[in-house]
Amino acid sequence: MKRNELLLVGVLATLIAGAAVLLPPIAEAQTESGVPVEYVDNTNGLETPTGSGWEEIQTATLPLSSAGADVPSANDVTVEQIQVKAVRTNSQIRIRMSWTDPTRDMSESSVREFDDNVAIQLPADGEEEPPIAMGSPENPVNIWYWSGSGNSEELLAGGPGTTTPVNESTLRTEQAYENGRWHVMFTRPLDPRGDARTTIPREATDLNIAFAVWNGSNMEVAGQKSASQWHRLAVSSGPPPYERFLWVVAGVMIVVTTLLTIEGIRRTGGE
Amino acid sequence: MSSHSSRNETVDLADGVDHQVAMVMDLNKCIGCQTCTIACKTNWTDSGGREYMYWNNVETKPGAGYPKDWEELGGGWDDEGEERTPGELPEQDDYGAPWDFNHEQIMYEGSDEPLRPMDDAADWAPNWDEDEGAGEYPNSYYFYLPRICNHCTHPSCVEACPRSALYKREEDGIVLVDQDRCRGYRYCVEGCPYKKVYYNAMKKKSEKCIFCYPRIEGEGPEGEVRGPACAEDCPPQLRMVGYLDDEDGPIHKLVNEYEVAVRLHPEFRTEPNVYYIPPFAPPTHTQAGESTDEEPPTHTQAGESTDEERIPREYLEELFGPQVHDALDTINRERERVRRGGESELMELLNSDRSEKYRLEVFNEA
Repeated sequence: MKRNELLLVGVLATLIAGAAVLLPPIAEAQTESGVPVEYVDNTNGLETPTGSGWEEIQTATLPLSSAGADVPSANDVTVEQIQVKAVRTNSQIRIRMSWTDPTRDMSESSVREFDDNVAIQLPADGEEEPPIAMGSPENPVNIWYWSGSGNSEELLAGGPGTTTPVNESTLRTEQAYENGRWHVMFTRPLDPRGDARTTIPREATDLNIAFAVWNGSNMEVAGQKSASQWHRLAVSSGPPPYERFLWVVAGVMIVVTTLLTIEGIRRTGGE
Repeated sequence: MSSHSSRNETVDLADGVDHQVAMVMDLNKCIGCQTCTIACKTNWTDSGGREYMYWNNVETKPGAGYPKDWEELGGGWDDEGEERTPGELPEQDDYGAPWDFNHEQIMYEGSDEPLRPMDDAADWAPNWDEDEGAGEYPNSYYFYLPRICNHCTHPSCVEACPRSALYKREEDGIVLVDQDRCRGYRYCVEGCPYKKVYYNAMKKKSEKCIFCYPRIEGEGPEGEVRGPACAEDCPPQLRMVGYLDDEDGPIHKLVNEYEVAVRLHPEFRTEPNVYYIPPFAPPTHTQAGESTDEEPPTHTQAGESTDEERIPREYLEELFGPQVHDALDTINRERERVRRGGESELMELLNSDRSEKYRLEVFNEA
């Protein structure tokens, strides 16, 4: 093997290594309907719902439709889709939801006033998919809930009409309203405080996740909501990318070394 | 629904309810003084987001009531009493809101104007149409209608709540809102055709008349069993309080035996447990102001007798359903009997003194 051939092998190996690091997440986002949760070292640029760092995070666009609950006007809903971005650090998960809503409803100060809300639904525990409508007694769900009038809640539910706030919620929310769009960011530690609360794993894992949005000015409340089906929350593994890169380089070096060895033996054998 | 047999009738109680509290209000005795309203307000709704609420109110009929035009807002059940009929939430202003006055101009801007509401501020309030009524001079008419939660046997507010936050108490059928379960969705406000469930915007929960249950449990003044404050504090003592299924009590007799106490808007099919003795018009007079005791009691403007009653029966039927005719006829008949020197248990019941108006301990365990 000539020197320039060796160089070519090296370049190819580097390209493969680079592609191995960079391509899989992109390909993943293009081919599946889930919500990727990217690992980040820190939340620089992601401190607020409109922080610049969110532009670098992949977006999952999910369709919403009436939840079809047994309440009056259940099908009279207005929000048709939601954009979701998610990251995690070693200690917390941060999910940002954005949707178009021309009216900013942040008050429930009179009887006909309803505020805007958004909620995330996750299985409380276990891997079996709970019923989409608020889970079931055997397979309960966690609800992370934001309301425009200022509350955020962690709730436990075991079927329609059973949502109950948990004690000592560790959920934090922040919101921004810009150009007719809500951006609401939920932050929660990966590890739950207390039983029957969803654990966000540190290794690569798929969880079920669903979303719901209420438009207050359309008097949407309770089961009168735009809801998604279950989607995959694809939690990525924790190792930082440079570790992965080193492993790939090591692999390529083994291949190159093997090739060189074979070439050496071939040349020795040929003389 | 379970039935308790009695001498003449059966008493329908809601499933799972041992006894049913009930109230009979004699509309002929109401003077519109609002003492009941204030008794309720000082006990339960004087602060904390309840300022606009009147769990007990007294409105003039004919009139728009409280909240304004509540009878037009829907709620209750369909004709078969099986499917709920969704209603509308009242506008906040239709409950009446404090008016803005020109304090700023007078106090700080040196205006010489008298103190008065700002432009357009004074266009509605509870009892805005008090004493207006209807009809033509000299036989115009109105009467007062005190209203509380009816603690219905078939309550559409209970059915409306997707969280089962509203329920009928097993021991006495009082309808309550479990404040831990309520999340302020307001389906109960919309679902009650009498608009007697209220939204507390400070608590973000619904609230309503509790039939003063601490008082009837003996937690009231001096640790004694007392009737609801609206009843006990009424100057003319127009309310009787007890149990519908207490067959020896006056309520059972008035409702089930004599059938002179009728439900408000029975067509809503929630089966209220507040009943009314329907109103007779006061004595009529000619244009010259002369009273007449003759019946039928109305006169034309020229003072001539007519066959029409002062309060049209059609209007009373709109309010109380077709049973109001028999109720009024029975009371007329019994009243005539007494006028002729006869005796009438019904008239005695309607004119009983205070000691007989409250029967709240009949079912207490020995």
